[in-house]
Order: sequence, then C-alpha cells, then structure tokens
Amino acid sequence: MFEMLLIEGIAIGACYGLFGVAVAIIYKTSDVINFAQGEMGMVATFVAYHILTVYNVPFWIAFPATLVFAILLGMAIEFCFLRPAKDPTVLGLLIITLGAEMLLMGLAGWKWGAEQKDFPFLLSVTKTHEIMPGLLINEWTIGVFTLTIIIMISLFLFFRYSKLGIAMRATQQNVNAAKIMGIKVERVFSITWAMSSLIGAIAAMFFAARSVLDPNFMMEPFMRAFAAAVLGGLTSIPGVVIGGLIMGITENFFGYAWPEWKPIVAFVVIILIITVRPSGLFSKHYVKKV
Amino acid sequence: MKKVFIASMIVCAVLVGSFFVFAAGKPGFDNKEIRIAQWGPQTGPAAPWGSVARGSGLLFQIVNDEGGIHGRKIKYFIRDDQYNPAQTKAVVKELVEREGIFAFVGGVGAACGMAVKDYLAQNKIIWVSPSTAIEEYVFPVNPYLFAMYTLYDDEASILTKYTVEKLKAKKIGFLYQNDAYGKSGLKGCKARLNAYKMKLVEEISVEPGEKDLSSQILRLKNAGAEVAVLWVNPTSAAIALKTAATIGYKPQWISSNTLMDFPLMNKITGGLWEGVITGGLGLPTHVDHPLMNKYRAAAKKYAPEERFGVFYTAGIMFAEPLVDALKRVGPKLSTEALLKQLNATKNFQGLGAVVNWSPTVHQGTDSIQILKCGPNSSYITLQDWTSNELATWKKKK
Repeated sequence: MFEMLLIEGIAIGACYGLFGVAVAIIYKTSDVINFAQGEMGMVATFVAYHILTVYNVPFWIAFPATLVFAILLGMAIEFCFLRPAKDPTVLGLLIITLGAEMLLMGLAGWKWGAEQKDFPFLLSVTKTHEIMPGLLINEWTIGVFTLTIIIMISLFLFFRYSKLGIAMRATQQNVNAAKIMGIKVERVFSITWAMSSLIGAIAAMFFAARSVLDPNFMMEPFMRAFAAAVLGGLTSIPGVVIGGLIMGITENFFGYAWPEWKPIVAFVVIILIITVRPSGLFSKHYVKKV
Repeated sequence: MKKVFIASMIVCAVLVGSFFVFAAGKPGFDNKEIRIAQWGPQTGPAAPWGSVARGSGLLFQIVNDEGGIHGRKIKYFIRDDQYNPAQTKAVVKELVEREGIFAFVGGVGAACGMAVKDYLAQNKIIWVSPSTAIEEYVFPVNPYLFAMYTLYDDEASILTKYTVEKLKAKKIGFLYQNDAYGKSGLKGCKARLNAYKMKLVEEISVEPGEKDLSSQILRLKNAGAEVAVLWVNPTSAAIALKTAATIGYKPQWISSNTLMDFPLMNKITGGLWEGVITGGLGLPTHVDHPLMNKYRAAAKKYAPEERFGVFYTAGIMFAEPLVDALKRVGPKLSTEALLKQLNATKNFQGLGAVVNWSPTVHQGTDSIQILKCGPNSSYITLQDWTSNELATWKKKK
C-alpha cells in the first residue's frame, strides 16, 4: 500500500510540477503570475478534443497540431493583451491575465458547452502493468513522469546555457539593462508565453485524461500547481518540479491517513515552509537596491 | 434652482410610484393565460442541468396544443441564473415584479432555491417540485412549496437495504461529497445499517473540486469494501472510477439518482459506468410507457435538437403535478384554489413516483426505483418503486 501511495503521489505531483513549470517560465521572465494559465491549457485541450473527435484524426497528428495551437495562443495573448498595456505595473498585468482567463472560459463554454467530456488520450489511466506482486503502474503515470523529467532537464539546460535562456533571465532581472545589452525584450516575452502555453497544454491534456474535460476542469489543478511552484521556488525549474512532487506525495499520504484534511494539508505544509524560506525551497532570494 | 428641485421631486415620485407598481406585480393569470416560470442554468458550469427547465417547457407546449387548461394557455418563462444564487434572486424578482408569475416549477440548485424560498412565500407565489432534495424546503411545512424530489437520506436508505438484502454485501464503503447532499446520503445509509446492526467499513469525504482521489480510493480498497457507495457529483464519480481502475479495485459501485444519466456517465468514464447501480427518480427515457412515448414523440416534434435524456424528462416530471392540480381547479382560478387542489393531491403518478400532498405534509414521496447501467448505457430495472419504511419524517406526521 505504501508503494501504491508513493507511485500515485509521484504521478499527480509530476503533473502539478509540469504545470507549475508553465507558470514559473512566465514569472521568470516578467515577474507576472499568469492567472489565465489554466484556461489556456483548457482551451488547448478542447482543441485537441475537437481535432480528435470531430475530424477523427489519429492522436499522433492531433497532439502536435494542438501544441502548435498552444504556441500561437500563448503568443496571441501576450501580443493582444499584455503588450498594448502602457507602462504596466505587475498588479495591472495580473488583472489583465485575470481578464484573459474569463474570456477564455467564456469562449470554451460557448464553443464546446459545459457538459463533461471524456478526453481520448493516448496514454490510458486504466491500462496497468504489474511491476511487482500487487504493485500496479499505469501508462499515464509512466508518461507524465517521463515527460516531466525530460522537460525539466531540457528547460534547466536551456535557461542555464542557451543564449535565449540567458536573455530571458536577464529580462526578468532588469528589462532596461537587457534592452541596452541588445536583447529584443518583446520577442523574449513572446517566446516565453509560447513556451509556457506549450508546456501548460501538455500538462492540461494529462489532467484531462485523469479526470473529465469541461470549461472548469483546470481551476483546481492550477491552484495546486501554483502552490507547488511557490513551494519549490518560482524562479527554479527543478525546484518547481520538486515542489509538485512534495505536494503530490504529501497529499496522498495525509489524504490516506486523514481524508478530511487532504484538501488543505498541502497548503499548510507550504505555509510552514514559506514562513522559513520566503522564496521557496530552491529559489535564490534577490534583494533589489532602491 | 426651484425648477430643478421640483423636477427632481417629480422624478423621485415617478420612481417610487413605479417601484410600488412593480413590487405589487401582476396577478399571474387572466382569462387567456397562466404565467408559470422556472430558473435554471442555461450557461455556466452547471449548464447540463439546464435541460430540466426546457423539459418542463415541453409539457406546457403539449398542454397548450391540447387547448390549454380551462381555456387558458400557459405562458412559460425560463430565466438563466447560471447556477448562481445572486442571479437567481435577481431573475426571480424580475419575473415576479415585472411579468407577474402565478407559480414557479422545478428550479435547479439547492443554494439557488434557498436564496428565493422565503421571497416566494412572502409574495404568496406557489412553487411546485424544486429540482433538488432539501429538508429545509418542506420541514417545517411551507404553505406555498410542494416537493416531490425523494430526500437523499431516503434514497440512500433504500439503496443500502438493496445492497444488504439482495447483494448480500457485508463490507460497504461510502464516498461522499463534503456538503449537505453528500452528508444526507451518508445519514440515510448509516440509519439503514444501524437497523441491521452493521457499520460502514469506510466513510470518506471528498471536496467537490478535487481532481485526485487516489488516497481515498486506496483506503476503500484496503478496507476490503466489496460495495462502494458514491454520493458525489458526476466529475468526482468519473475520477473515482478511473482511479479505481488504475489501482485494480473492482467493487460494486452504487450511487444516487443524480448520476442516473447513464449515456453521459458512460461517456465521461470511458465505458467504466457499465454495471453501476443507481437510484432512479423517474422512469428511464427508453421505456415503452404511454406517457414516455407521448413525450418522446412531442420532443421529436418541438425540440428535435434536445437530447431526450434524464434531466430533460425530469423537467417534464416536475411539472406534471402542477398541471394536474391546475386542471382540477376548474375555471375559477386563484392562488387559494390551486393551493387547495395541490394539498388534495392523492396518488398522482406521472413519470415519477406516486405523489401525495396534504396540508400538513408537503414532501410528496419517499420512493425510488433501483436501476443498473447495462451494455451500451441501457437501463436495467432491478427493483420497481420502493419506499423507505424507515423515513423519519413520515413518523412525525
């Protein structure tokens, strides 16, 4: 039983972590928490559902097509909503993302309706493999864990060693200095939103396969993924994934022992840790001079 | 300055005057029509339940086609409250004070109904068959409110009796939504088990929005629950069944009537709903029954775009006792006359259970059917209408 709880905790935690990475990427570049992240993933998942069920195309075509859509959606939201804002404050940008969230939710409700749908994902949660007697692991779990590790390592290397990754980090630390150094910050923002939307769409498709698809299905996962990202440290990609894993495992073990406390126990742990380390477990704390 | 003052006073007087006119409202009927209304979520997260209000509309359409009731046609109003109690208040006030509504029927949402219950009673507006089971609606008796939705604790009690006596289950687990709906089901199940001197092997709560139920399902599995009762919403039920399949747990699932839309449940669980047993509040939509056949034909004619599902037919079912009572009133219609006939409702049966209302009891029934999801989302009737002999409210009568 211990092993099953651990596997299930790691699986859902990896999913939180993956989605948390999408939130963290935008934060790393612009200090903004994108409250439309969940709904961007939701709309992308609906597009995948539409391609799969209306056009009846195989998953290996629908999946990349959805990822292309997600990239364009991220760039479009940045271009249409955030870029026109003149000298925006962080609070102003937050409000803009909240507006985008409502707009996307309304659009999804109008186009696909509020009735729940089953998302036909390639990796099934019901196809299980017995790795040891009594210990089952399903395709979905293997998929989400593998993909999260690959994306985490790729992003870590990207931000550490690639020119674009370094430009993104520079933009986050000081936009004006980045401009002076020749970084095209608008292009950086656009690419950041595209990357974030892409990763968010992958995570949302995993969430939909495990639950059901409707316009509200990403609200709760977004809250937990955001909390996991804060726990790990919003500026550390591996930290965000580890935060997600801590969240998933803690919830599962406490949820097993005291089910009625499950919804809040992870948040209590987060509050305790943030009290001791305000920037999260793995994030460096920058102090800006006034 | 004086002119401005006089003009302001006139504007104020007109506004205050119009307020009293609207507050008084129209009488709700005349020689040509009876105005009946319903709120329901036509948009927003609960929009799938919006078909309840549209289903009632089908019955009124049929009644009007047959010549109306004693020469009066039913004028029916649907308002979208988006499952938001604040919106429900606004639309109900608008309907009562602007349109002049004689009676309300149905009305999805416990919180939405609670938000307007007292307002309707204060304005002496009759409300028949709320689309949810809330004890506070009918206990103590509200003279203007008549309920026919079987209380959740009665339903859970009947299902538990079936589980113990027919399925011979010894170990029963209960997964419930942490709200009034879930707790009512738990209460009914425990009351029945007490009568058998049995106890639940597990009782676990879930929050309505929870997306990961693995620890809860693992607990049910570990407790050895051979029957798992679900008193949750459709999304939580789908997650529970998927998670159980993931960890290799295969109990007999049992659930409330709120999950008796087998085609929908089978669709969102990827076919896992087959074999699940639920309570049934109304006849399954496919049955060969004179009333159901009539409504199915009418739906094809008037609402071909509607899915003839259980929520849609529930809307018809909720409106049936109101139409019956209006017919019995005769041509001399008034609120008092309709109340008298509703209170005299005896053994009325449409698509649902037998309904009885009296001046002292406005909870119309305590019965359900027991259904099983068969192949291709078909409905298998395991047990016909059964009442709850343990119902505590019947003993208070």
